[in-house]
Amino acid sequence: MTLIDYLSTILLIAGALFFLAGTLGLLRFPDIYTRLHALTKADNVGLGLIVIGLALQSESLASAGKLILIWLLVMFAGASVSNLIASGALQRGIRLWKR
Amino acid sequence: MIWSTIISRGIQYSALWWILADGNLTSWWIGVPAVLFAVITSVILFPPATNLRWFEILKFIPFFLFRSLLGGIDVARRAFHPNLPIAPNLIEYPLLLPPGLPQVLMINIASLLPGTLITELNQSVLRVHVLDSQKDFLTELISVEQRVARIFGISLDTSLK
Repeated sequence: MTLIDYLSTILLIAGALFFLAGTLGLLRFPDIYTRLHALTKADNVGLGLIVIGLALQSESLASAGKLILIWLLVMFAGASVSNLIASGALQRGIRLWKR
Repeated sequence: MIWSTIISRGIQYSALWWILADGNLTSWWIGVPAVLFAVITSVILFPPATNLRWFEILKFIPFFLFRSLLGGIDVARRAFHPNLPIAPNLIEYPLLLPPGLPQVLMINIASLLPGTLITELNQSVLRVHVLDSQKDFLTELISVEQRVARIFGISLDTSLK
């Protein structure tokens, strides 16, 4: 294994941990709003790390660019969709959980 | 003005095609018309009225990557913590940014930063769900708003906040 291989292994494992954290948050957090926090933010970082880890292994600049493009699209989709779900929940009068 | 927009969008969309086609040269038979149609459509749907500051966008990227990484770490730490240390609240944040693209950009960015989730935008007032109401989310929101304003070349008077 080369140095690049080690680096992308670390990034891929770290990315998987963030996905695990996002899923754990989805299960453990008490209401829809806090769950959205976990999903949008942790999964965005997880995908970012996985994309960088895979881009290091890609054969051409174009395929690395394609991976980054996927990340950007998922990031925009994630932010907009979480905003839509949250505003929909507010309009339906779903109360937020407070400590 | 319109020509500089057409040229810069043409370059951006060509780069996009190059990425999508994996740098395949023969694909430009389809790529060139696709880029032309994309530029025409984008000028009709999104007229070149706004003057973006590219240098400010470049300065914004590392700030955004770093803050969103912190956002992920912050929420991951709370999800893994046995006591679930969260104290959510819903706050209101009046926007100084003008409606349209600046506000949309602000909403999308703020939802990926540590501890804040935008739930609603009503007459330039954001309703923000914060994960930990003890944290200083106001400074965060103000700094993002100022950076977004700089991208569009707008100056804001945040002394009122």
